[in-house]
Amino acid sequence: MKHVVSISLGSVTGDFERDLQIGPEMVHLVREGVDGDMDRARQRVRELDGHIDALGLGGIDIFLYVAGKQFVIGDGQRLAAEATKTPVVDGSGLKDTLERETVRSLVDRGLIGPGTKVLMVSAMDRFGMAEAFVEAGCECVFGDLMFNLGIDYPFTTLKELEELAEKYRSRLLTVPFHMLYPTGSKQLERKPDVRFQKYYDQADVIAGDRHLIHRHKPDRLDNKGILTTTTRPDTIEEYRAAGVSWVATTTPDMDGVSGGTNLMEAALVAVLNKPLSQITRSDYAEWSNVLGWHGSFHTLAPIIL
Amino acid sequence: MASAEEVRESLVSFADSCNENERLTQMNKDWNRIVEIHVTDEDADFTLVTQDGHVEISDGKPTTADMIIQAEGEILTQIFYGEVSPNEPYNAGTLRVQGAESDILHLDFITAMLWE
Repeated sequence: MKHVVSISLGSVTGDFERDLQIGPEMVHLVREGVDGDMDRARQRVRELDGHIDALGLGGIDIFLYVAGKQFVIGDGQRLAAEATKTPVVDGSGLKDTLERETVRSLVDRGLIGPGTKVLMVSAMDRFGMAEAFVEAGCECVFGDLMFNLGIDYPFTTLKELEELAEKYRSRLLTVPFHMLYPTGSKQLERKPDVRFQKYYDQADVIAGDRHLIHRHKPDRLDNKGILTTTTRPDTIEEYRAAGVSWVATTTPDMDGVSGGTNLMEAALVAVLNKPLSQITRSDYAEWSNVLGWHGSFHTLAPIIL
Repeated sequence: MASAEEVRESLVSFADSCNENERLTQMNKDWNRIVEIHVTDEDADFTLVTQDGHVEISDGKPTTADMIIQAEGEILTQIFYGEVSPNEPYNAGTLRVQGAESDILHLDFITAMLWE
């Protein structure tokens, strides 16, 4: 049995353990939150280093990939560097493959297409998903400035995201990650900003990071679709109560939970038996295809197209 | 070493750059703040006001401030002329900024948009 742990800067309330069969291997998956405590995250990474098969980092990224360029997140890279033996991943490889496929599956279901209005709460951390929506002809609003920096300025093109990534490159290395993204108990809080409600209201589909969606969402999301990850049964019920029509996740359902891409990527790394530096996007695409990994889909209310 | 007048000129240049940048003006449209800037080696103060996307500089301390920025004149001129990122002196401890995290992040974002 392979062992994989995701150390998440998120809340401990999201912790779970599951066994997952991947090809001939059984993998024991653990998600372990540290409530936003970076010192505890470093300590746990050091303690686990060399004792498990792969580590995932959740609630933080090591790299962003925007338009084929790599951008380093300073806090994420420093945290990953605490492990010197066990491979550490942040899910960015799998995001770029699985999430594109999930968007295409929504096109196949007839749920999105040209003219569908999509609010992606943040897109720099899942550029592949953003590209897939644009390829499908959707009218996108990318909320990176709004939901990460509090600036009411929607981006509507991939070019603007590329430009932001370039201009903000040096800041990504130095700005403390918790200033850009809710960690720990902040992930459980809802702080809807009236300035941003109109973007939720205008959207047919709301996509991206579940914590950002949750933090800023208005009370009602009637007839909307949600595409996200790391859902739990209570997340689905929360969306149902808000009037959401459907919820799609980008990672497979494991007895009611969808794991973070970092955890699932770590699981693949554990069974691939290749050095991390030699694993490519194609490996992730091929393996997730071979394994039949696809996200889950929940119909919560009659879907009005 | 930069004089108080040189700091003032750098602040006016910064304000002009912000006001001439249409996109930045849009981004700042609802960021209405009063920033006190204290030049530690000259004992001089300036006020930077952002209102409806427009940035203005005046001499002296404001009566109340959302943010207070303190550094030697040389460092302040380098920052406001875009010669160094605020992160460098901030991390080195030679630039002190008091205020809400979100405001500090916003002001830093403006400098990134102008000069990076």
